[in-house]
Amino acid sequence: MIDLLEQLVHGLTLGSLYAMVAAGLALMFGVVRLINFAHGEFYMLGGYAFWYAYAVLGWPYPVAGLAAVAAMGLFGLAYERAVIRTILSRTWHVQLIATLATSITLTNLAILLFGTQPKEVPTRLSAAILDVGGVRLAWQRIVVLVVAVALFAGLEWFVGHTKLGKAMRAMSQNREACAVVGIDVQHVALAAFGLSAGLAAAAAAVVSPLFNIFPDVGALLTLKAFAAVIVGGFGFVKGAIAAAFLIGLAESLAAGYVSYAYKDAIAFVVMVAVLLVRPQGLFGRRIGI
Amino acid sequence: MALFETRGLTKRFLGVTAVDGVDLAVEAGELVSLIGPNGSGKTTLFNCVTGYLAPDGGRVLFRGQDVTGAAPHRIARLGVGRTFQLVSVFPRLSALENLLTFLQQHQEERFFGRLLRAPGVRRLEAAAVERARSLLDSVGLGARERAPAGTLSYGQRKLLAFAAALMPDPELLLLDEPAAAVNPTMIEQMKAQIRALHRAGKTVLLVEHNMDVVMDISQRVVVLDHGQKIAEGPPEAVRRDPKVIEAYFGR
Amino acid sequence: MRGVRWVAGGAALIAVPWLVAAVLPGQQRYILHVLVFTALFGALALSYDLVVGHVGSLSLAHPAFFGVGAYGAALLATEARWPFAAALAAGLVLAGLAALVVGVPMFRLTEHSFAMGTLGLALVTQIVATNWVDFTRGPLCVTGIPKPQVGDFRITTLPGFYWMGLATLGLVALLYHGLTTFRLGRAFHAVRDNETLASSAAIDPLRYRMLAFTIAGALAGGVGALYASYVGVLCPGELSVSLSVNLLVMLFLGGVGSLRGVVVGAAAFTALPEVLRMAPTWRMVIYGLLLLVIVIRVPDGLEGVLQRRTGRRRGPAPGA
Repeated sequence: MIDLLEQLVHGLTLGSLYAMVAAGLALMFGVVRLINFAHGEFYMLGGYAFWYAYAVLGWPYPVAGLAAVAAMGLFGLAYERAVIRTILSRTWHVQLIATLATSITLTNLAILLFGTQPKEVPTRLSAAILDVGGVRLAWQRIVVLVVAVALFAGLEWFVGHTKLGKAMRAMSQNREACAVVGIDVQHVALAAFGLSAGLAAAAAAVVSPLFNIFPDVGALLTLKAFAAVIVGGFGFVKGAIAAAFLIGLAESLAAGYVSYAYKDAIAFVVMVAVLLVRPQGLFGRRIGI
Repeated sequence: MALFETRGLTKRFLGVTAVDGVDLAVEAGELVSLIGPNGSGKTTLFNCVTGYLAPDGGRVLFRGQDVTGAAPHRIARLGVGRTFQLVSVFPRLSALENLLTFLQQHQEERFFGRLLRAPGVRRLEAAAVERARSLLDSVGLGARERAPAGTLSYGQRKLLAFAAALMPDPELLLLDEPAAAVNPTMIEQMKAQIRALHRAGKTVLLVEHNMDVVMDISQRVVVLDHGQKIAEGPPEAVRRDPKVIEAYFGR
Repeated sequence: MRGVRWVAGGAALIAVPWLVAAVLPGQQRYILHVLVFTALFGALALSYDLVVGHVGSLSLAHPAFFGVGAYGAALLATEARWPFAAALAAGLVLAGLAALVVGVPMFRLTEHSFAMGTLGLALVTQIVATNWVDFTRGPLCVTGIPKPQVGDFRITTLPGFYWMGLATLGLVALLYHGLTTFRLGRAFHAVRDNETLASSAAIDPLRYRMLAFTIAGALAGGVGALYASYVGVLCPGELSVSLSVNLLVMLFLGGVGSLRGVVVGAAAFTALPEVLRMAPTWRMVIYGLLLLVIVIRVPDGLEGVLQRRTGRRRGPAPGA
């Protein structure tokens, strides 16, 4: 019983991580109809930014986390300008290969800069253990879940109440009409990339104290987040978040009770199973963010 | 027995019934037009009978054989040709290759014969090239046979798509707005082509918005409104039908 | 005239080991080694292009089929002591079967989902190869894979492997040509360019996609088996996603959907870093950037540039 509860807690941590990455992926897809294969690398770079600020420069944890988010937000803007803008009008073939190429470039640049040895960033909260009736978990896991929920609430508020957020929602529903009614499509796309990259960096800042940072952490993460996007119904952010938690829990339970070595295959198995039974995703094809 | 028939054909999208229990029969050799206001379900009906959409109810019969829900390529193989409302060609294949593509599946399906270019297949190909050239000539594209279809003008692509649909010599030809968005000269050319097909004994069902074309060439007109058949008969009679006038002008 | 050129070209290619020995005696081993890789990767890239360039499905599962063939043949040859020809045939058939089995569900997916699904498949294959230690020996790698041998005829020398690679490339190129021209090629291209219209021409899109996917998978498995036999060692790392990236660079560098383009792309890709002698990490950074620039700026690759030069271009580029 205790064991099961611990697996569930681990699953929620994984789910939070996947959800933060998947939400950004779904947001970008919603706004510009493009799958960013380099999204996992945003997380990876965010992790290194956090590591640098926290472990090398010695900044306090919250400051280091915010610095990583800000740095990656800027990186997302630059990426939109440099790469995405040049491929938006091209076929999905070109878009896919261009973002895949970016992913490979960033991963190998990280190997050059930081080496292949994983970086460990323990914090006081990742070492502090909370004991709830025999279930032992690191305080950092609570931080992950709280930050994730707070960010999703913030995202929901942003999309519903700000001019920019409303424009994103409108674009996810009908891009052509948006250009007609005078929404600056380019501007909104830029903001969506900044926001998504920031979300990925936030995930890195809260998760890195628990999991190590290494250069090719992004590839599997992109795949799992994409699996969540598909399972949740393409481009539907809330669906992607729900599906990400589902995948996180499935993966954690599989690691605990089936086979640790094959846990990374779970997201893919879930994705294929859902696609075969319900190609439109678990929550139907509701485009919208 | 009618060559082609729908019985109670029904298709719904998200609660809207786009085609609502339509009975339609076309005899061999007939030239029938399907008309109706925008959104009356004409193209949906086309897509249901050619396998692009699975109907929610009713049946589609071709030569008495039930083909309801069959895949598009199977229906095509039975001898049903069609064109699309938005002009559709293979842009990177030449005009000639576009036409050849439409005949080959009806001829020889054997993989190794094709891979190794068996003499029998070569003969079929040579005959196909000849037929394709004469069809290109008949629509006035003979000189452009080597041009990639994507480089042709809109009207030329429309003629090419029409010629391609004729390539396998279909028993039933479904034309989706052949006269839309082309210039008056081209409309006359299209009308002449359709009449020639009719004279040659082919069966044609066409969706068309241009009333002059419809009234001019059809033997019989079927009118759809809100997915239901509201009138059917010779062009002159349909033109005077109060229900048709209501459907077109009453709102 | 054309026939003469082909014979002369073929003779020159066959004579390469002697030419190299005469011109650059000290470098012979190294140059032949690079050429063996060029030929094997050229064959692999051609098989990949059947799917990417001719039916237009962006599969990222090619490393999986390469791996199934390589591991299948290597394990049969080392553990079960199968003769080379039987192991090679088994590698080919196993990879083809794998493609057939996964192709049916995968082709229910379209565009991005298909790419992601096939990428997932490649990752899972690599995870299995790494973790199923009892069967694949995992990170310890399969070692001592025997060299090719049919009866008393054995390939042991570098020139021998060069001719083997050349023959493989030649056979795959012939098959590629047969599949991508004439009636089959037209059907593939019709499916690639406009699936809806293709089915109105009585072409079954799934059938042709599966045909290309299965043949490509089988060929990748065959090349994998030969590769394992040449290198002698097979590790799970060979199946990584970066193999897909390398193949994509070859295709886009040379020219998607063109026999000559893909072979030129594979040659440039394999030879260039060997000439530059770069560290592997730098190499991948440069490949990534190269792929990015090519796909944005010259999506039809070297072949497109060549054709524009000679004014023989037909139609818009695949990625344009």
